[in-house]
Amino acid sequence: MKNIMFALSVIFLSSGVAVAQDHSQHNHHDHKNHTTFKAEPVNQEHSIYHLDGEWQAHTGESLTLANFQGKPVVVSMIYGSCTTACPVLVNDARRIFEALPEAYKREVKLVMISFDEDRDTPAALAEYAEKYNLGDDVWTFLHGEDTNIRALATLLGVRYRKRADGDFDHSNLVTVLDVHGRVVERVEGLNRPVDDAVKALVKIIDENHLLHH
Amino acid sequence: MYKWLSVLSMVVAAQAAAEPVIIPAGEYKPAVLLDETVEVVVMPAFKLDAAPVTYAQYLEFVSENSKWQRDNIAAIFHDGNYLKSWPGNEQVPAEYEDKAVTQVSWFAARAYCDAQGGRLPTLDEWEYASNYYLQQQNLSDKAYAQMLFARNSNPTAYSKQHVDANIEHLEYMHNRVNEWVEDYQLLLTNGDDNDLLAGSCGDSARFMADFGDASYATFFRYQSRSNYRPQSTTSTLGFRCAYDMEK
Repeated sequence: MKNIMFALSVIFLSSGVAVAQDHSQHNHHDHKNHTTFKAEPVNQEHSIYHLDGEWQAHTGESLTLANFQGKPVVVSMIYGSCTTACPVLVNDARRIFEALPEAYKREVKLVMISFDEDRDTPAALAEYAEKYNLGDDVWTFLHGEDTNIRALATLLGVRYRKRADGDFDHSNLVTVLDVHGRVVERVEGLNRPVDDAVKALVKIIDENHLLHH
Repeated sequence: MYKWLSVLSMVVAAQAAAEPVIIPAGEYKPAVLLDETVEVVVMPAFKLDAAPVTYAQYLEFVSENSKWQRDNIAAIFHDGNYLKSWPGNEQVPAEYEDKAVTQVSWFAARAYCDAQGGRLPTLDEWEYASNYYLQQQNLSDKAYAQMLFARNSNPTAYSKQHVDANIEHLEYMHNRVNEWVEDYQLLLTNGDDNDLLAGSCGDSARFMADFGDASYATFFRYQSRSNYRPQSTTSTLGFRCAYDMEK
């Protein structure tokens, strides 16, 4: 196979006129090791709970995303061994939660979904939740299969890529879902203001009369 | 090299009709670098459908999976034109049985492959298989580029060509429809630090230095991919499935 590929590259090298400039000698001083992907725009009219893949929570429970139906959800995608952006994303979700009026807090779920099928087992995620002192009543960390992770990321507009070193390049995005699983608010970036997300959550809870149940 | 290839094609031919073909492990140099530090991608062996999925095959799938029928698909999984040309939920357009199915979103293509015990090929797998196919067919760069540009200049006509679903070797890679890949979203890079298509510094850095007819043609395929949304259901975009090797 190597020979074939060598032959192929010889063909490439010897063929016609170069039609694009080669800028590979540029000095990409501002390119860091890790890439932050910009999030994609998404469909906000329809529920992401049509995804029927199975997930394992850090508590060991098996569930589908439709389990969260009926409550507004703050969702973000992370991976456990990530020490840079991910703890900030988790903290951003917590900041949203902490900024809610006290009575509203118990109506909101915080769901962190891992990119990392191999390393972020439910047990590893349980350790993560414990390490950051994140209670099971509010927080759910989800482990899933690659195919389900990709589908969910696509509907949330989160782009990611597994790197050769096992880490992930990804978009930094916190999303608010309404009681039906529709995307209503998106906070892109790290350590952003939480006001809009908080307002969106309060509105969902008020409009669905969740406090009076 | 050719001796080795002919041994391989005998192995492939020995399989039953409509079996996926084995794409042997190897290395390839992508025409567009997804990671600017990785110029040679090492690929494990995998299996790939010899031909794109046909209308007849897709009809069988929706007959068994009603939630993927034209009138039943969840709105979030398509752009409104899913299987639009089908006269009914379980009826393909007249005389389309043996053509490559199109008007299928990324979500639907994945569901089809999942039902076959497979998955969509990754972008690397598809491009690697494309290189492998060119070698297998002994196609020159020029012939390959001409084939792609012919299709691009009249994509709808090309998508209407007959597909032999029982073909025993890899076929129709470049002259019927463009095909979905699992991780095409990696190309949706408007505004990224390392922008692929917007003409920034990071963009052109990801062209290969040895840039000829073939890689120029290949670049157009990447560019098409970058225009798709996961809900896209265009009439020139089909798919084929990939499968892991048995462990």
